[in-house]
Amino acid sequence: MPKWVLGSPLILFAAIFVAYPVYQGIQTGFYGLSLQNPETLFTGLDNFGTVLTDPGFLAAAKFTVLFAVAVTVVETVLGFGLALLVNRDFPGKKVFFTMLLVPIMVAPALLGVMFRLLLNGDIGLVPAVLRTVGLDVSLFAPNTVVQLLVLLDILQWTPFAFLIMYAGLQSFPTDVLEAAQVDGAGRLRILRSIIAPIMKPIIFAALFLRLIDALRTFDVIYVLTAGGPGTKTTTMSIYIYKTAFESGQFGLAAAASTIVMLVLLPFVPLFVRRIANPDGKAR
Amino acid sequence: MNSRKRRLWGTTVAVGLIAIVVNVPWFNALFVSFKSDGDISRGATVVGTPTTSHYANALGAAGYDFPRFFLNSALIALGAVALVLLIAIPSTYSAIRLGFGGRFIMNASSGLRLLPAIFFAVPYFLLMSNLGLLDTVPGLILANTFLNLPLAIILLSAGFRDVPVEVEEAAKVDGASTYRILGSVLMPILAPSLVAVAVLVFIFSWNDYLFALVLSSSNATPITLGAANFVTSTGIRWGDISATAVLSTLPPVLFAIFAQRYLVSGLSAGAVKG
Repeated sequence: MPKWVLGSPLILFAAIFVAYPVYQGIQTGFYGLSLQNPETLFTGLDNFGTVLTDPGFLAAAKFTVLFAVAVTVVETVLGFGLALLVNRDFPGKKVFFTMLLVPIMVAPALLGVMFRLLLNGDIGLVPAVLRTVGLDVSLFAPNTVVQLLVLLDILQWTPFAFLIMYAGLQSFPTDVLEAAQVDGAGRLRILRSIIAPIMKPIIFAALFLRLIDALRTFDVIYVLTAGGPGTKTTTMSIYIYKTAFESGQFGLAAAASTIVMLVLLPFVPLFVRRIANPDGKAR
Repeated sequence: MNSRKRRLWGTTVAVGLIAIVVNVPWFNALFVSFKSDGDISRGATVVGTPTTSHYANALGAAGYDFPRFFLNSALIALGAVALVLLIAIPSTYSAIRLGFGGRFIMNASSGLRLLPAIFFAVPYFLLMSNLGLLDTVPGLILANTFLNLPLAIILLSAGFRDVPVEVEEAAKVDGASTYRILGSVLMPILAPSLVAVAVLVFIFSWNDYLFALVLSSSNATPITLGAANFVTSTGIRWGDISATAVLSTLPPVLFAIFAQRYLVSGLSAGAVKG
C-alpha cells in the first residue's frame, strides 16, 4: 500500500531518532548513570529528589522564567510597534526590511561571539562609547549582567516578533480600516478598536513563540557568560548541559530534563491547537 | 513637501535607525575584521589602513582549522536538507492525502516544537556513542534532521493542502500511480514550499550550536562551535575572529537578501525553531 511505503522513512527515522531518545531520556533519570560510572545502577526516584532540592536547579528555574517573561513582553510590544511602523509604503522600505531580517538569520552562537567583540572592555565599541560620556562600567559585573543579557536578547529577537506580527498585518482586511477612516475614527481609536482585536491571535502567537524559545535560551548566554558570574545567569538549558557534560551526571541531567518536560507538557495541546490547526486564526 | 510625505520620510528615519541598531554587532564585526591588529588594540574608534589579512587567516593562511569547520558546516547543512526532504515529502503527502498516521503526525510535529532541544542532549549523546557516530558529520546530519523535521512537515502539509484535490484526481483518471502523481505532478507545483523548507533547514542546521557542542569534539566541529571555542580559548585574536564571524554569517545573510520571500512565508507560518 502506497500509504505505508511513503510513510516508512518517517516511521523508521521516528522510531530510532525520536521515540527511542524520548524513552532513553526518561529512563536515564532513574539510573545513576554518569561519565565516570558507566555502570547502570537503578536508583529509582533519587535523581528527581536530588534535582528538586538542588538550589542550583531552583535558581536556574527562577532565572529562566523571569528572563523569559521579561524579554517576551518587551519584544512583543516593541515588535508590534515596529510592525505598525513598517506597515506602510515609505522610501527605503525594502532595504530596511531586509536588514531587520538579518538578526533572525544569524546563528545565535556567532551573535554571542560578535557581542563579546562589541562589549569587550579593552577593544569593544560599547565600552569605548560609554567611556567618552564618562561611564566606566564593567558590563559583565554581577549587578549589570542580567540587564545586559535582557537588552541583548531584545536586540536579537525583537525582529522575529516583528516579523510574525508584520506578516499578520499583511493579511489585514484593509477595507475595514478605510471604512473606519471614512467614518472619521481617530488613529488611536482605530488601533484600539479595530487593529488590536483582529490582531489578537497573531499577537498571542508571537508572545507564545517567543516565550517557548526564550525558556530554552542557551547559545548567546553560554557563549557570553557560560552562566556566570557564579551561577547568576545559568538558564535551565545551561544547567542541564553543565550537569550532563561538565559534571558528567547523566542521570541527574536526564531527571532535570524530564521535570522540565513535565512542566511544559500541559501547554502542548494549547500550542498544537493554536499553531498546527490549519483552520486556526493564529496562522 | 506635504505633511504626508514628510511623515513617510520620518518613518524611513525611524525604521532605518532601528534596522541599524539591531545590526550593530554585525557592522562592528565587519569594521573590526578589516582593521590591523595594532589598530584594534589602539581602540574601538580608531580607523586605520584597512587590511584583508584577517580574511586570509580565517581561510587558512594562519593554519587555523576554520576551513575544515566551514566544510563541516556545509556538509551538515546540505546533508540535513537532503535527509529532511527525503523523509518529509513522502510521509507528509501520505499523512495529508492517504490518511497515514492521521492527525497524530501533525500534532506530534507541533508538540516536538515545544520541547526544549536540551531534553534530547543526553539521549542523543548516548545514542550517537552507541551507534559510533559521535564527532562525525553523519551524526550531526541525523541530529539536525531530527531538529528540523517537525518544521518541514508543518510547512509541507500546508503546501499539500493548498493543492486542489482535482489535480490529483485528473492525473489518476489518466492512469498515473500514486508515486507518479507525487513525483511528476505534485513536486513541480510544490516547488516554492520545497525551496522554503530547504532554505530554512539549511540556515537552522548551519546555525546549530547546542548539538554541535554535545556531539562533536574535533573532527565534525562546525563553524558555530569552532568560532565560539576560538574566542573563549584565545580571546585576543579579535581581527581573525571577526573575519571568521562575518564569513560564517554570510550564507544566512545572503539567503535573507535573495530568498526573502521563502523565509518570510516559512518563518511566519509560526513554526520557527530557536
